[in-house]
Amino acid sequence: IVAVEVERMLRLAEQCLERAKSFIGKSADPPDLSASVSASSSWRKATSPTKTGHRRVMSEGGGELSPFLPPEIFQRIQTVESQDTSKKELTPIEEASRLNQKLKANYEARLARLTPGQAYQKTSLTLSLQRQMMENLIIAKARQDALQRKMEERRLRLQEEANRRFAASGAMTAEEQEQRILYTNVLEYEQDHDWPKLWKANMRKNLDDMTLVSGLVSYLKPTRTVGSSVGGQSFSADSSPSLSHDLHANYDDEDGDEPHTQVTVDRENSFEDLEQFLTQLDWAPPHGSADDTGSDLDTTCDPLMQPEQEEGNIQELEIRALTEHLKAVVKDIHIAIGEHEDRGHLWVCLYISDQLLSLCLLSFECLNTANSKDLCLASIEEAFFTPLWSALVALFRKVHREREQAFETSMKLYGDISPGDVGVSLKLFPQDPGALQGSYPYESAVQELRLLIIDRCPQRKLECIVRTLRLICACAEDYRCLHEVDSTPKTAAIGADDLLPILSFVALRSQCPQLVSECAALEEFIHEGYLIGEEGYCLTSMQSALAYVESLHTGGAHLPADKLT
Amino acid sequence: MAAGGTGGRTYSFKVVLLGEGCVGKTSLVLRYCENKFNDKHITTLQASFLTKKLNITGKRVNLAIWDTAGQERFHALGPIYYRDSNGAVLVYDITDEDSFQKVKNWVKELRKMLGNEICLCIVGNKIDLDKDRHVSVEEAESYAESVGAKHYHTSAKLNKGIEELFLDLCKRMMETAQAEERLKGNGASQSASSRRGVQIVDDEPQATPAGGCCSSG
Repeated sequence: IVAVEVERMLRLAEQCLERAKSFIGKSADPPDLSASVSASSSWRKATSPTKTGHRRVMSEGGGELSPFLPPEIFQRIQTVESQDTSKKELTPIEEASRLNQKLKANYEARLARLTPGQAYQKTSLTLSLQRQMMENLIIAKARQDALQRKMEERRLRLQEEANRRFAASGAMTAEEQEQRILYTNVLEYEQDHDWPKLWKANMRKNLDDMTLVSGLVSYLKPTRTVGSSVGGQSFSADSSPSLSHDLHANYDDEDGDEPHTQVTVDRENSFEDLEQFLTQLDWAPPHGSADDTGSDLDTTCDPLMQPEQEEGNIQELEIRALTEHLKAVVKDIHIAIGEHEDRGHLWVCLYISDQLLSLCLLSFECLNTANSKDLCLASIEEAFFTPLWSALVALFRKVHREREQAFETSMKLYGDISPGDVGVSLKLFPQDPGALQGSYPYESAVQELRLLIIDRCPQRKLECIVRTLRLICACAEDYRCLHEVDSTPKTAAIGADDLLPILSFVALRSQCPQLVSECAALEEFIHEGYLIGEEGYCLTSMQSALAYVESLHTGGAHLPADKLT
Repeated sequence: MAAGGTGGRTYSFKVVLLGEGCVGKTSLVLRYCENKFNDKHITTLQASFLTKKLNITGKRVNLAIWDTAGQERFHALGPIYYRDSNGAVLVYDITDEDSFQKVKNWVKELRKMLGNEICLCIVGNKIDLDKDRHVSVEEAESYAESVGAKHYHTSAKLNKGIEELFLDLCKRMMETAQAEERLKGNGASQSASSRRGVQIVDDEPQATPAGGCCSSG
């Protein structure tokens, strides 16, 4: 009997000793432990795992930190997990947490089966549970460290690869540096995911197939999570394909019914930031003055009427504020991306800028030919600008309201003017209306220009302007031939001196004040590579012609008076 | 991108063409672009926007020539035409004193807007009409010198002096571009940072990693 008692006492002493040890161990360990816990909590947005629910169990251990993740967080992790397309594996720490969870469940079950008299067994169970859990965590941490080292090594290796690719000679610009980091991230992402490889292989096989390029870009566009690992920047957020579908549907409708009516601003899009912004703009009350000025101008053609002066000043202030807003938006659109994390859809669209393009080019080298680049750019633009454009133009129209009104006034006053009246050379249009069979000179160009507001993609709008100018040149050529039937044909082609008056005439006849804002927006958002070429020239000429039309109504003096200078 | 030297590069330059209505700038530029080899250089925009490809001392140059309207009433938006230009050709008619005055106005504006970055050429056209000359050679040349421009005499009718004018301009623009490149360190990055001005573009696809050093396997 004594022996039994002694044995009991000894076991109790042992347990006490162990308990004391674990206490010491715990107080010595905390930095390690908390590190590992925070490591697991920083994965996704799991918050601090020590919550009251677990204190109850741990009360006897008195531990500060629970080796468990609270169940609600665990659940969250699991749901994120199941959504994650990459089927990411649990980190060792998470695995240990899961194991501990099970241990705890067993422990609680056993505890429930104990009778009140078995207090020491309860203690023993608690202690051994703690020990086991602690060990699990320590092992997990060691494994985690090893894994991290391995990842680090891989990263270094990939970085070297990136360095090789960019064959650094001497000093690098910050931009090249950034590209290199981006490329490293791309490589890393590709190690974990298969789809880029598949696309690459496919493209290598069909080098000339341009449809693949647009296919790829549209594949990249939707909710792909490349971003989360690429440079920590994600272009994953939902750029809502359904939305662009809606808009396309709209577009089709308009096209079918009345292609030439002005497209009203459509509010169905979900770009909350911009939406919100636009409603903010509504505080700038039109308080009738704008319209008044407009009608006054109609009758008197005098924009500087005294009584309106003061109101004019207020308006001017408002306009200035709006302009500042617009500038800010445009600037944001150009630079934003960097800090877009949770800023909503708008910033996602901003990726459009060079960043996304260069990302595409980096990831898919075979895209790096002039043709593919153009296509890539067009596809990206289309994907991102299409849903955004109407909101953007609405903003531009607010800011350029005065200019549009000026255009409209000129339009009303001089809408049915003859080309000669705006200074078009007499050789370049038929004086005999009968020669045109019921239409007017340059009608085809006017029709083309009216299509501009229907497109929602800057690139396509630009192409529309180019087509308009080409049509003008073609018409001019035809008309000149009419004149030169008898005389020896001269070969002089038309230059800007001839082109601009015709373009002004065409703009006037288009009856579309919105062009003013559209062109202003285009100027901001056209990829600068296009601005030096034919497209840039056409846009610039169009803007010049529009400005001339706006200035027409401010006095007849501008009309054909200086035709010959 | 970095390696490969300048051999594979193409310079893209924008040149604006300024001058009053009847000084003959359209004929001048048409002569230049259609004279040689073929007339494919004439785009569908006829003489208002022309491009020309050149090879100068082994380097490829793409010229984009932007014609502008001479009429006063279109001048409000002049600045958007010549922003980011690398060069300007200012044409006057040697028989028309007034057209020379106009050139002076443009020079002032260009220098104000673009500083010394832009290469200016002042061109006295119609030297075939020398007997009616109203702008003296000395006056024109000393004026050009005083504003840091170069002066040329041309005749679009006789096709005189035009080739030289543009060749010279291209060389000067290349020098300016190269100086700018050196200033930026050997950077010469092709992308956005260089803004719209001088664009140095690789016109070969870069699919092949720039030779030499350890291949990435």
